[in-house]
Amino acid sequence: MITMFAIIAFAFTSICSALRLWKGPTLADRVVALDVALISLMSAIAIYAGESGDTTYLNLLVVIAVIGFVATVAASRYIENEAGK
Amino acid sequence: MIIVEASLIVVGSILSILAGVGLLRLDTTYARFHAAGKASPIAFLFIAFGVSLQTGTKGAALLFLAVVALIITLPLGMHLLFRAAHKANEHNYLETDELPRDNL
Repeated sequence: MITMFAIIAFAFTSICSALRLWKGPTLADRVVALDVALISLMSAIAIYAGESGDTTYLNLLVVIAVIGFVATVAASRYIENEAGK
Repeated sequence: MIIVEASLIVVGSILSILAGVGLLRLDTTYARFHAAGKASPIAFLFIAFGVSLQTGTKGAALLFLAVVALIITLPLGMHLLFRAAHKANEHNYLETDELPRDNL
């Protein structure tokens, strides 16, 4: 019941960020939309681990967080360099 | 204990829904960054608290590592993205631009 509600909430957040990724007027909006989708993926992995009692996939969470940070920094560098030209 | 887990997970899910709605419905870029960069890590924080009550000590340790990594890195990345978007923005909503003076 609670797991179902949580999974539906993360699906809704992912759909919202996909729509923002589709429309988004600037490149920075698209980067933020991908970041929010990544965080809802992290939350879904955590919910699955709590439901099944299997802690193997929890190692993925740190990797996903660091990859999202590096992607955000690289995209912001790119946007700043494009603006400076 | 099951009530505490369930209420923490429900609060995290509602915060995640609010982050999605704010990302989709707000009308300026800065407001969208504000909605996405503050609500979503707090939502993950609540979810991690709830799940770490369900799993044992090992799962709680891994979730603690993930929460520390997210809470440290995400505001930093959002700040860099704010600055880049502010520099790239053609139509500024502000009357005076204080970014060159403060040089953040």
